[in-house]
Amino acid sequence: MSTDDAQEEDTHIDIADGVDHQVAMVMDLNKCIGCQTCTVACKTLWTEGGGREHMYWNNVETKPGEGYPEGWEDSGGGWQSDDHSERQPGEIPGQEEYGGDWEFNHEEIFYDGSDEPLAPQSDPEWGPNWDEDQGAGEYPNSYYFYLPRICNHCTHPSCVEACPRKALYKREEDGIVLVDQERCRGYRYCVEGCPYKKVYYNAVSKKSEKCIFCFPRLEGEGPDDTVHATACAEECPPQLRLVGYLDDEDGPIYKLVEEYEVALPLHPEFETVPNVYYIPPYAPPQHSEDGETLESVDRIPNDYLEELFGDRVNDALDTIERHRDRVRRGGESELMEMLQDKNPAQQYRLEVFDDE
Amino acid sequence: MAREGPAQSWLAVTALVVLAIAVAAVVPSLTSARPANEVPVGDVGANASDPAAESWTTVPSVEMALSSAPSGLPEAGNVSADHARVRAATNDSHVFVRVSWDDATADRNTSGPRAFADAVAVQFPENESARPPIAMGGTDNRVNVWYWTGDERTEELLAGGAGTTTDFERTTVSTEAVHEEGEWHVTFTREAAAAGNRTALSGEQDIDLSIAVWNGSYDERAGRKAVSEWHYLAMGPGPQGPPYETILWTVAGLAILLTTVVTIEGVRRTRGEPT
Ligand code: SF4
Ligand code: SF4
Repeated sequence: MSTDDAQEEDTHIDIADGVDHQVAMVMDLNKCIGCQTCTVACKTLWTEGGGREHMYWNNVETKPGEGYPEGWEDSGGGWQSDDHSERQPGEIPGQEEYGGDWEFNHEEIFYDGSDEPLAPQSDPEWGPNWDEDQGAGEYPNSYYFYLPRICNHCTHPSCVEACPRKALYKREEDGIVLVDQERCRGYRYCVEGCPYKKVYYNAVSKKSEKCIFCFPRLEGEGPDDTVHATACAEECPPQLRLVGYLDDEDGPIYKLVEEYEVALPLHPEFETVPNVYYIPPYAPPQHSEDGETLESVDRIPNDYLEELFGDRVNDALDTIERHRDRVRRGGESELMEMLQDKNPAQQYRLEVFDDE
Repeated sequence: MAREGPAQSWLAVTALVVLAIAVAAVVPSLTSARPANEVPVGDVGANASDPAAESWTTVPSVEMALSSAPSGLPEAGNVSADHARVRAATNDSHVFVRVSWDDATADRNTSGPRAFADAVAVQFPENESARPPIAMGGTDNRVNVWYWTGDERTEELLAGGAGTTTDFERTTVSTEAVHEEGEWHVTFTREAAAAGNRTALSGEQDIDLSIAVWNGSYDERAGRKAVSEWHYLAMGPGPQGPPYETILWTVAGLAILLTTVVTIEGVRRTRGEPT
């Protein structure tokens, strides 16, 4: 393999104590078309009703933007430092930050012959994907990209630590973070404790719920008795998600995260050490008023990407750029092959530890 | 013997003064005061599960000071209630505990992600042989908790330390609550006789109890709560509170002793015996 950018020397994998393997996901933000197929796949599978109306375990938001729940990035939670001894106080988002389950006039339009436009029968002011495609910047240099988000099944999950009843736990076999519905009493310390706001309160069951990384699919417990990747990944039209284990050293996730260091966690400063990683977006450069390409000016401001992915985003983008160049000049690059998913067998490596 | 007259009257005066002091010390205590942590149990002979029931007016109320429980949760020291009033009663078959506390808003719903309901809990040792740790008991010294929340839930719980609360499969406790003029009144009712890890309330002995109050609109829940110290339901037979009784008898005993000494001394002096 091409080793120039791969960090071969002692790639130390930080997986949580007491966890055998750690599930992980890499999403290539350059491929997301914002179609929300993942969101709908997840919603129909897990959160269709029963107090889950406001929950999107998978959501796709436009960045820059307030996201879902509105303003989650400033809602606190996580850890104060990387020694994971003191948690950062957090807030529980209000119903208006999630958005309600609006009633629409489907009935009137489809069955009663109404010619009113289809619209919510209330006056909502926020909801998931509310600021879709707004982004930032001025024409001709406006910009935005899509950010699909699920629970990060963190290595140092502050949601787990926040619960006074130890109702949340990290599964020993694969590090999936779950809420034990028997133990949960709906106190919502996990909701405020997660800096990504990926635990949700169900006001009907009076318990908290979250993304389960489709563990029954991973275990082959579905109707076809076959192991599947998460629904959000398998349903994605451009197939931009890799699903597997971080500690599977032969898989692309390990290589992208640990060797090439081009897949980065979102908001590493929250210090929960996420296991969902992103290939950062590389946008074209800016244009001048008269349409000239300004090679040296990034369209997505670098400091914005640093805000999301930390300082390492610069090296990651440089590495990707170098490899693109090499391939353009007719060279070979393992990294580019992985990013182009030339080998579908590598995309979902879910049975690599089955023989243990 | 007329010569001895003045001495005798001095003696009589001394004895009277000493007695008066002793009586003044003892008699009011016997009639009105209770040991600080006692909750008297009135026999109402009727059903007192309604917190507004007439029979409650005959039962004395005990004021319990409340303070924040040291749970380590965010904002744990920030609680709103600082006292509650507790009354307890029995009839032939049931035990009733009524807790009243000030709370301007009746927080009855948990229908939004930020909504928490008001709540109150009464805690008893599962087994009265030893007083459990106040914070939800200990592993081998568990507590029964009767728990009511403003969204109309009643739970009977068993706990052996913070974070260990588990529900009884079937609750034997019922509750009724009213919110009036900025005050909650909640009555817990349970049959006196109960089996299966439940506190015996059959009236054979005093039973420790403590209470906790949560203000929902203050985001109080779980270990963020206002709690009392241990008190006890005076259910046992006879006069209550051994330390108190001892103090009374000591005072009375000292008074008698002093009177006797003074009397003997007086008699010896009047007889002119050498001292
Ligand atoms: S993303 Fe939030 S909910 Fe998921 S494991 Fe991390 S801290 Fe917990
Ligand atoms: S399904 Fe794929 S492309 Fe569509 S929004 Fe989700 S992640 Fe993006």
